Amino acid sequence: MVPTSYYVFLSAFIFAIGLYGVLTRENAVVILMCVELMLNAGNLNLIAFAAHHGEAAGIAGQTFVLFVLAIAAAEVAVGLGVLVLVYRRYGTVNIRKPSYMRW
Amino acid sequence: MSETALVETAAVLIPTVPLAAFAVILLGALLPKERGFGGTTSTVAAIASVAASLVLSALVFFETWTRELDFVAVQAVWVDAIGDLPDLTVGILVDPLSALMALIVSVVAFLVLVFSKYYMNDEGETGLPRYYAALALFSGSMLAFVFSSNLLMAFIFFELVGLCSYLLIGFWYDRPSAASAAKKAFLVTRFGDYFFLVGVAAVFAGFGTFAFHGDDSLFVAAQSALEADETVLGVSAQTAVTVVALLILGGVIGKSAQFPLHTWLPDAMEGPTPVSALIHAATMVAAGVYLVARTFELYALSPTALLVVAFVGGFTALFAATMALVMDDIKQVLAYSTISQYGYMMLALGAGGYTAAVFHLMNHAFFKALLFLGAGSVIIALHHKQDMWEMGGLRRRMPVTYWTFLAGSLALAGIAPFSGYWSKDEALLAAFRNAANEPLLYIPFALGMVAVVVTGFYTFRMVALTFHGEPRTDAARDASEGGISVYVPLGVLGVLAVVAGFVNAAPLGIHALADFLGASAFYEAAAAGAGYVDGFEVSYALSVAALVLAVAGSAAGFKLYVGADEPLKTRGGATTRVLEKKYYLDHFQVWLAEDVTYRFSKLLNMFDLDIVDGVVNGTSRVSLGSGDAIRRMQTGVVAHYAAIIILGTVALVFIVGLVGGWF
Repeated sequence: MVPTSYYVFLSAFIFAIGLYGVLTRENAVVILMCVELMLNAGNLNLIAFAAHHGEAAGIAGQTFVLFVLAIAAAEVAVGLGVLVLVYRRYGTVNIRKPSYMRW
Repeated sequence: MSETALVETAAVLIPTVPLAAFAVILLGALLPKERGFGGTTSTVAAIASVAASLVLSALVFFETWTRELDFVAVQAVWVDAIGDLPDLTVGILVDPLSALMALIVSVVAFLVLVFSKYYMNDEGETGLPRYYAALALFSGSMLAFVFSSNLLMAFIFFELVGLCSYLLIGFWYDRPSAASAAKKAFLVTRFGDYFFLVGVAAVFAGFGTFAFHGDDSLFVAAQSALEADETVLGVSAQTAVTVVALLILGGVIGKSAQFPLHTWLPDAMEGPTPVSALIHAATMVAAGVYLVARTFELYALSPTALLVVAFVGGFTALFAATMALVMDDIKQVLAYSTISQYGYMMLALGAGGYTAAVFHLMNHAFFKALLFLGAGSVIIALHHKQDMWEMGGLRRRMPVTYWTFLAGSLALAGIAPFSGYWSKDEALLAAFRNAANEPLLYIPFALGMVAVVVTGFYTFRMVALTFHGEPRTDAARDASEGGISVYVPLGVLGVLAVVAGFVNAAPLGIHALADFLGASAFYEAAAAGAGYVDGFEVSYALSVAALVLAVAGSAAGFKLYVGADEPLKTRGGATTRVLEKKYYLDHFQVWLAEDVTYRFSKLLNMFDLDIVDGVVNGTSRVSLGSGDAIRRMQTGVVAHYAAIIILGTVALVFIVGLVGGWF
């Protein structure tokens, strides 16, 4: 059996990749993809610990993951909807363009 | 009361008629030009209204005299009682003092209005309706003040006559000097009136009544508070009476131009000469002295207040007389002489000489109005020259003016048998007799005696320079007198200046005025309240001494200046300079206003602007500044927000870990 720490490290690694992408990319679609990465890193963590604690702890961890997946899907739908509007208006999905909402 | 119905009606009408004339002239001025009142209509309206007042005043005086009336004729509630305080009323008080004063005021007002027709109406003057409206308003307010039955009503009309004074000093408002003199008169008297107002409030708060007359008068209230040794307004009754009397004295000092608030009166000579005669010599200035006489029973309860009145009066009498010595403008001489003569009246009142004060007030009203009208006649003849060095030798060109002016001058200088002698002598006698009980009174008495010499000197310096010697200018050589409206006022006042003194010539054993005024009651009040002597025994030595001093001063003044063709004062030294600069009091007041008060105000303003406002503005500036700095975090770049959220989360985890002891 693969030790739980492996999953945790993998999860942290994937989260870091996603975070890096969110902070550095300018393309909104890519940022959304990176957000997905971060969410799934979290999911991996939940699954790993659910397995680690075994059936004694119940299936709460797995249920959380299902919730996260459902909400992530909804979030992506909203996010892409916003992006379509941004594209219509600015002709690009570069996230630095719509910068008028500031001081 | 049916037997007094006539007097009541007359007493109400006396102030009302001139006030109605004021309203009519004012409304007439509002009509369209072609239908509006011209100067003539206004003149007639004002003169007719004051003539009516004169007739009614004579009637009231006669009735008061023959039937010894002393009652409140009409009493109307003005403000209903609040709590346990009494109603505020307006009423007409008919007693010997008010009847006499009303007669004096209406006689002088009538004669001055007649003279005004000569002085004002022949010069293409456009403001005549304004002039006569203000004079009618003044006559009405002054008469209402005289008849006031309580202190509050007196205060209101006291202020109204002050307003008329302001309007008339500034009659030629396009002259900067007149406008500034009007402002000065208003402000200086207002400064005194401020104390008066506080005194009025203190009377009501302390004694619960304003009334001058009857069993619930403020005098009775003060007297019973004293006898019961009550605490009034948080202090002993004696202190309260003294403080209230001194507060009222503040208004008196302002209005009667006593030291140190006398500086407005000489400037007030910027007004037309008839106005100077009526308002700034005979009547309005007398309002202050009249007020002390009216509230004499209050002053009589406080030896301190009486002494202050005597000192203010005695000092002012000499102080103002010395300044009259060096003035070149004939009206200025008369102005300082007026201040000095009111000083004598205050001295008399402070020394308990109730009759002497009222007597001198009456004589002064007649002879000073006469002198001012005489000066007005001269000024018109010389085409508005007022400098005495441009006159001279007018005796032959203007005989009526000369002889009447001479009568007024003899009265002013206090030379028997002219009127001023008898009343001034009586004022000095009061101070002299009471000084036996109150040695401090010797000081104002001595000041008054010295002022007798000075008065004679400046009076006959004026007569010599104006009427004697050779004419010094062409205008003086070609001078001529006016017509009937000059002769009548001068003649009537001239006769009064000669004979008025005999109504109470005490050294000759005549006490008509004292009897009429019921003066013995006031002497008793002063005797009981302040330990003064009850009545004044005639001192022939004093009468002779005063006469000798007056004659000596007059002769010296006449001899030195008759035929003089250059001001003697150029030979004078530092003293003359001090006198010419009016003891630097005007400078002092300007210094007080500009250098002290203004600088202090600027300092306070700085405190307000920099410290009080600074805190307020600082708060907003800090908020604005920090807001401006912090809002720059909102860059509009999504990555920045994300980075901040992440850094915040990391910091939070770190802190929670630190506190939770994870490390």
